[in-house]
Amino acid sequence: MSVVAIGATTLRYISIIKEMHTYFNGKIVIVPKGTIVIEGFPIGRSNLPESIADQVEQEVEGVENAVPMLFIYNLEGSLEALPTNFTIGIPYGNWSVLVGPTPLKPGGHWPSADSSKNEVIVGSSVSDQYDLNAGSKIKIEGHDLAVAGVLDTSSALLSRSIIISLEPIQEIYGYNMLVNLIVVEPMKEVGEEELAHRIEEEIQNVKALTDEERTDLARPLISNIETWTLGIRTVLFVLSMIFVTTVAMMNVSERRRDFATLDAIGAPKSFVFKMVITETGLMGLFGGIAGILAGSVAAILIASFYTGIPISLFFPGIFDITPPFLMLEILVSTVTVSCIAGVIPSIAAARMRIAEVLRAEY
Amino acid sequence: MNIKTTGLTRIFRVGSSEITAVNNVSFEIDEAKFIAIVGPSGSGKSTLLNLIGLNDYPTHGKIFIDKKDASLLSGRERRRIRLSRIGFVFQTFNLLPTLTSLENVELPMSLAGKSQKEQREKAVRLLENVSLGDRLRHRPKELSIGEMQRVSIARALANDSEVIIADEPTGELDSKTAKEVIGLLFDVNRKRQTTIVVATHDEKVVEVADTLYTISDGKLKLEN
Repeated sequence: MSVVAIGATTLRYISIIKEMHTYFNGKIVIVPKGTIVIEGFPIGRSNLPESIADQVEQEVEGVENAVPMLFIYNLEGSLEALPTNFTIGIPYGNWSVLVGPTPLKPGGHWPSADSSKNEVIVGSSVSDQYDLNAGSKIKIEGHDLAVAGVLDTSSALLSRSIIISLEPIQEIYGYNMLVNLIVVEPMKEVGEEELAHRIEEEIQNVKALTDEERTDLARPLISNIETWTLGIRTVLFVLSMIFVTTVAMMNVSERRRDFATLDAIGAPKSFVFKMVITETGLMGLFGGIAGILAGSVAAILIASFYTGIPISLFFPGIFDITPPFLMLEILVSTVTVSCIAGVIPSIAAARMRIAEVLRAEY
Repeated sequence: MNIKTTGLTRIFRVGSSEITAVNNVSFEIDEAKFIAIVGPSGSGKSTLLNLIGLNDYPTHGKIFIDKKDASLLSGRERRRIRLSRIGFVFQTFNLLPTLTSLENVELPMSLAGKSQKEQREKAVRLLENVSLGDRLRHRPKELSIGEMQRVSIARALANDSEVIIADEPTGELDSKTAKEVIGLLFDVNRKRQTTIVVATHDEKVVEVADTLYTISDGKLKLEN
């Protein structure tokens, strides 16, 4: 159960980070120098003037366009381990830089140039959580806005996002003409690395990150999470193995007369060995199934606890929290671990001799 | 099946002391005989039966099965003899609790590689022969102790054993049930020509035995 809960929770973090990697492909991300960045998304409150986007477009050679963005993660209602949602501000007309071809759910519309100051687009999870639909009212930091549409996506980032034009979000959060990230599209013939280098040379106090650099920054984080997960899972599997061995040894000890009788009537050692291994394997199978069910529930409880999102909203997406491949992996692992754990009890059972058992009894 | 022992001795080491459970026993079990071995508790009856049933190894001496030295047999060969030529009946029945009467009787046949159909037909026949035709699907805990011992005898006959070794088969039974079980073993001996070797305290067993041995302090003595 713990393996599933830990696995599912850490997998969610990893999948969000990996998903972030799918944004801004082939583009350069400019952030303030010294900012912590996960796959191009800035963490912290550092910012840079919005005008840098114009400066980059006009002064740096080889830039197709530069889109300023304000990326704010909202920790309200959460325990600051996983953001409840993200509010992302993008200039009107440039939303496709982030959302790409993602459609809206029926009934919604993309804000127009006029309405974009008062309308937002929300992700499906935000919509479910706050019961928002196209036309609903939403209050952000005391500002009244309307929901123009709901993104029809299962993306972990977009489904938890509120997307709004840059100007109102700057006003709402007090970022006067400030942004925290600029996405730069290089001209076709210009190399990413070369352009990033040029931007850093020409614009002071910024970091220009290529795809590869962003991946390099996230890799140690993912690697650390995966190493910790692997370590914890290994310890849990070793503990399970000790537990299964103990239970199986007690079981064999209680049934010593049965195994000794099998030996007396001529059952081959391999027969007894296979019998006990099968029993421990089945113990692992049923334990694994029970663990997956309990672990999935625990993973949902953990996710709900850290994000403040109601538990009921997680259940339709149970396979997003505990993916089927994780369930299968756990099931195969528990059966394998149980079979390995059953080796010593199986050998003990196969060695039972009727003469010794009867002598011990009388 | 002829079983012969020469100078058979089994010594157990308990801490620093030694206990001689079977002491220099030489005797021969002829085919189709009903043999009773009588002696008090701790006299070495069970140890002797375990030795001649190839469930234990002697400290000294030899056992010959059809004139072949059993000490030269591999573990696998000894198991094969126990499976196909020797049947065991225990004082405490030793039926597998999770199996039904039918499955308990089928087990030795299954281990011997007989077909499912053959196992089923023969197990039913054997259980009917011991008057348990109506107890086929019952598990041991649902049977009386007399019925359990009859299932145990049916199991011992499953692979047409040439010898049945019974260790205190009436030890747990009341006198009426004990009489039935002895009658059953006697019938098996007479009708199937199966050799029966019984370790017992029971006078009724002694009455029907062809040959009577007494055992005391591990020493075997022929009485008739």
